[in-house]
Amino acid sequence: MRRLLPLLLMLGASPAAAQPVVTSAAPDSVSVSAFRDPDRAEGGEIDPDWLQGFALISEQRTIDLPAGESVLRFEGVAEGMVAVSAIVTGLPGGVVQKNRDAALLSSASLLDGSLGNRVHLRRTDRATGKVTEEDAIIRSGPQGAVVLQTAAGFESLRCTGLPETLVYDGVPAGLTAKPTLSVTTRSPDARRVTVTLTYLATGFDWASNYVARVAPDGKTLNLFAWLTVANSNGESFADANLSALAGTLNIETPFEDLAEPPPQPRLDLSCFPTGSGRNGIQPPPPPPPPPAPMAGGYADESSIVVTAQRRQEKLMDVPIAVTAIAQLEDLGDLKLYRVPMPVTVAANGQKQVALLVKDKVPFQTIYRLHDCPRCEPKEQQTEIVLRMENKESGKLGVPLPSGQVAVFERAMGRELLAGEGMMRDHAVGETVNLVIGESGQVLVTADNYYAPGKGGDDYRLTATNANPFAVRIEFGFDVDDMKGLDSRIRKLPRKDGLPTWIVDVPANSARSFDYRARAED
Amino acid sequence: MRALTAIGLALIAGAVPAAAQGPAAANAQGQLSVTIYNGGQALVQDIRQIAFPAGRSRQEFPDVSAQIRPQTVSFAADGTAIVEQNFDYDLLSPNALMQKAVGETVTLLRINPATGVETRERAKVLAVNGGVVLQIGPRIEILRDDGLPVRVIFDKIPPNLRAKPTLSITVDSKGAATRAATLSYLTGGLGWSADYVSLYDEKAGTIDVQGWVTLTNNTGTTFDNARTLLVAGTPSARGLSGYGSSYRSYRPAPQQGELRRAGTETAPREQLGDYYLYPLAERTTIANAQTKQVSFLDVARVPAQKIYEFTLDGFDNMADPKSAASVIRFSSSAQGGLGDALPAGTVRFYQRDLRGDPQFIGESRIDHTPMGSDLGLKTGDAFDVKVKATVVSRERVSDRVWRTSMSYLVTNARPQPVTLDLTQRGLDWYWAETRILKESRKSERLDADGTRWRLDVPANGEVTVTATFETRY
Repeated sequence: MRRLLPLLLMLGASPAAAQPVVTSAAPDSVSVSAFRDPDRAEGGEIDPDWLQGFALISEQRTIDLPAGESVLRFEGVAEGMVAVSAIVTGLPGGVVQKNRDAALLSSASLLDGSLGNRVHLRRTDRATGKVTEEDAIIRSGPQGAVVLQTAAGFESLRCTGLPETLVYDGVPAGLTAKPTLSVTTRSPDARRVTVTLTYLATGFDWASNYVARVAPDGKTLNLFAWLTVANSNGESFADANLSALAGTLNIETPFEDLAEPPPQPRLDLSCFPTGSGRNGIQPPPPPPPPPAPMAGGYADESSIVVTAQRRQEKLMDVPIAVTAIAQLEDLGDLKLYRVPMPVTVAANGQKQVALLVKDKVPFQTIYRLHDCPRCEPKEQQTEIVLRMENKESGKLGVPLPSGQVAVFERAMGRELLAGEGMMRDHAVGETVNLVIGESGQVLVTADNYYAPGKGGDDYRLTATNANPFAVRIEFGFDVDDMKGLDSRIRKLPRKDGLPTWIVDVPANSARSFDYRARAED
Repeated sequence: MRALTAIGLALIAGAVPAAAQGPAAANAQGQLSVTIYNGGQALVQDIRQIAFPAGRSRQEFPDVSAQIRPQTVSFAADGTAIVEQNFDYDLLSPNALMQKAVGETVTLLRINPATGVETRERAKVLAVNGGVVLQIGPRIEILRDDGLPVRVIFDKIPPNLRAKPTLSITVDSKGAATRAATLSYLTGGLGWSADYVSLYDEKAGTIDVQGWVTLTNNTGTTFDNARTLLVAGTPSARGLSGYGSSYRSYRPAPQQGELRRAGTETAPREQLGDYYLYPLAERTTIANAQTKQVSFLDVARVPAQKIYEFTLDGFDNMADPKSAASVIRFSSSAQGGLGDALPAGTVRFYQRDLRGDPQFIGESRIDHTPMGSDLGLKTGDAFDVKVKATVVSRERVSDRVWRTSMSYLVTNARPQPVTLDLTQRGLDWYWAETRILKESRKSERLDADGTRWRLDVPANGEVTVTATFETRY
C-alpha cells in the first residue's frame, strides 16, 4: 500500500499521463558517420581525452504504436546527442512535438521536488544500532538545506551530530537519469512501425595516419594510411555501418553547448554554527569525478596508435597486408570513407581500419628554403620535402585527407623512422609537398659579395651539400618589390609564385648563384 | 503485522501537520498563456481562481517562474484594489532559522551517545555570532561545544523566511468571493530559435526544408498546459541578456552575408508590429530543463543551386592552394522559394550518400529573414575546388603608386563543371584609389573595395585568371 500510493500519485501528476508512453530501448541497426574536429589544424591528431569531433548517428528502431496520441521515448542513444538535430522519420502520423527533458534526478532535485511534501527522517542510534523513523515535511529549498517540520517542531537536518538521513517515498515527476528524447505522435491505428532516428552527437573524432616506407632504391615509396575513429560516449554501437567524412564543414555553435543539459539545482547543505565558532557539520565533499579516460584505458589497446616500435618489428620488406580498405565515395564537397563491413564502435574506444594502400609511388626529395633577396641567411638548414604528384601517372590519384605522416627508411638492416610531417587535404591532381624534417647536411648561405670599389648591392648565394649523394635544392626569393632586382632573379622559374633558384648539387660539393638586389628607396 | 504498520503510519501522520500538498498535487498555476521572444525572455499570463476574503488580505503566488522579473508583475481581479506588492527572498535555512531565533526559546534534545537516553530541556538563544550562545536556566552554554549530539527543535518558522523567493500581493477586496485574478509578468530563461533541416539534392538542384521552432525552458519552473505563442523578434532596443541573445556580437563579420538580397514580400502569418507570430496549435506543457520542438514549415523541392566562393583579402602569395567555400543558394520567395519568412536559427544541410542515407554536410546560421529574400548559406569548404593566388610581380611605380600583377589558378577535381565566384578584396585599403589596369577576363566591380569574377571551371579542369592592379597609398 505504502509503496503503491506515491507511484500512482506520480503517474497522475505526470503531464504525459493522458498519453500512453512507448519506450524504445535500443536500435535494431545503426549507422555512424564520424566527422573530424572542425577546429583541428590540418594534419592534427585525435586527442583521446577530449574528442572534439562529432558524428551523425542513424538508428532503425522497431516500435509498436498504439492508436491515437502517444509519447515515444528513445533510450540507448549516445550521451552526446544534440537533441535539436534529431530527425524522426517513419511515423505514420508524423511528429506533433519533440522534447528533450533534461531535469536530472539528483540529491538536489529530489529535495527540491519534494518541497512541502512528507518524507521520512531516519536516525540510527550509534550506541544501540536502533533505527527510528519519523515523518517530516521539507520546508526549505536546496539552497538553504535542510529545514524539516517534525511532530516536535522545526529542526535542521544533520546539524545534530546524529546519523540521520531523509527517505523519500517516490521520485518527483519529470526527473530523469539522463537527458531523454521523446516525440509525441498520433497514429491512425495500432501498428508496428520501423522508425529512423537520425541525430548529431558529440564525443567522436577521426583522423588519418599515413605510413610511408621508402624503397631501397630511394625512388619510390609505399604509402599506407590508417583511418582511426574514436568514441568517448558511454554507448557502444554494435555492428554499425561506420563511415568517416573528410573535408571542412561549417559549424556555427559548438555541439557540446547544445548537447549539455542546462544548469541543475545545487544542493547546499548548511548548518547553524556549533561549538565555539567552529562551523557545524560541513557539507559532504562532492563525489570524486570519474577517472579521466587514459589512452591506456581504451577498450582495444592493441589498436591504439601505430607506434614506432611495432613498426620496427613488423615492417620488414613485407608489405602491409589488409583484407579490407575503406571505400571512398564523393558526398557533395566532402569525401566519404565507408568501412566495408559492419563493425562495433565501442564505448570509450578507438578503432582503426585501412584507409588507403598505394605502392611504388615515385617521389623526389627536395631541399627547400625561402628567404628575401637582401636577408643574407647564414648556414640556414633546409627543409627536407618529399614531393609526389597526386595523379594516376604518379601512382596516386586519390583524395588524400589531412593527417600525420611517418616516413621509414632502411638503414643497418632495419627499418628506421626517417621523418615525420603533416599532410593537408589534397585533391586529385595536386602536388604533395611533404615536409618531413630539416637537414643539417644541406645548408644555404648568402653573402653581400662584391669586388672592391663596386656598389654594395651584389649578393652571392651558396648551397652546400655534405651528403655522399647529389641533392636538389630549391631556394625561393620572397619578393616584395621587383623593382630593385636584376634580370638574373627576374628570369628564375616560378615555384609557388616565388622566383626560385633550382640547382642540383653533386655529392660533397657546393654551388652558388650571384645576383644584384638594390635597396628600395 | 500489516494492519499494525498501517495504524502506526496513521498515528504518525496524525501527529505531523498535514503536508501542504500531496507529492503529486497539481501546482498552483491557473490558466497559463506564455509568449516567448527570441532574446531569452517571455511574457507569462496566469489566470488563477482566488478566494478573496472581504477587506485586506495578502495573497501569495507560488509556482511563478523562478526567474520572474518581479518589477514587471501586474495583477488584476474584479472588485479588488492592490495595496502593495512584495517579492521576498529571505530564504529559509538552518542558519537563518537560528539567527531569527535570537531572544526566543527553543527545545534541546540531548542524546547520550553511550546509552541513547534522551534529555529534553528548554533554552533561550542569546546570540549567534560564531557559536550559538544559549541560556539554560541559570547556565550559559555554547551549543554543542562538547561535540555531543543535540537536536535543536524550533517552535515555529518566522513568517518571512521562505523556501523559495515568493511573490505576494496585498489586496483590498469588496466582499468575500472567489474570482479570477490575472497575474502577468516577464521572465528570463525562456527563449526560442528555429532549427531547419534541409535535405539538398545536388543532381536535381533542390532542397527539402523542414522548419522547427525550438523553445528552451531554463527557468527552473514547469509551465503546465500553457497556450504558447512565439514571437520572432526581441522587442527591446538594448538587446536583453540571456540565452542565445547576442551571439552575433562575438562573431567576426562574415566575408559575405547569408542574406544576399533582402526580400520585400509579406508572409501569410499573424504579425505583432514588425514581428511574426508563431502560435503552437494546442496547449502544451513546457517542462523545466526541457527543449521542445514543434514543426512550423515543411516545403519540398525548392530550387537551390550550389556555387563556390573564394575571397582574397589582399594581394598575397599563396604557397598552397586553399579550398573554396561551398555555398547553397535559394530563395524565401513565394515564387520558386520557401514561401515564408524565416525566423532566426540554424540551417543544417544533409545530402544523400550512394546508399541513399542522408549525411550531414554542414550548417549555417541565419538571421530573421523576410519572405522574398535570396540566401547564400555556406556549408563548408570544398575538398576538390581550390584557388591558388600568386603575385606575379609587384613594383613601386612612383612614391605612392604600386602596381601588382596577380594570377589566380582555380582547380576543380570534381567530375562535374562548377561555378566559382572569385572576389579580390583589399582594393580600398587605406585611402587607396585602385584601378584595374588589365585583366584576362572581365570582372564585376562590386564596390570601391572589391571586384569579382564569375568563373565556370570545367570538370577535372582548371582556369587561370590574371589581373594587374594599380594602387595608391
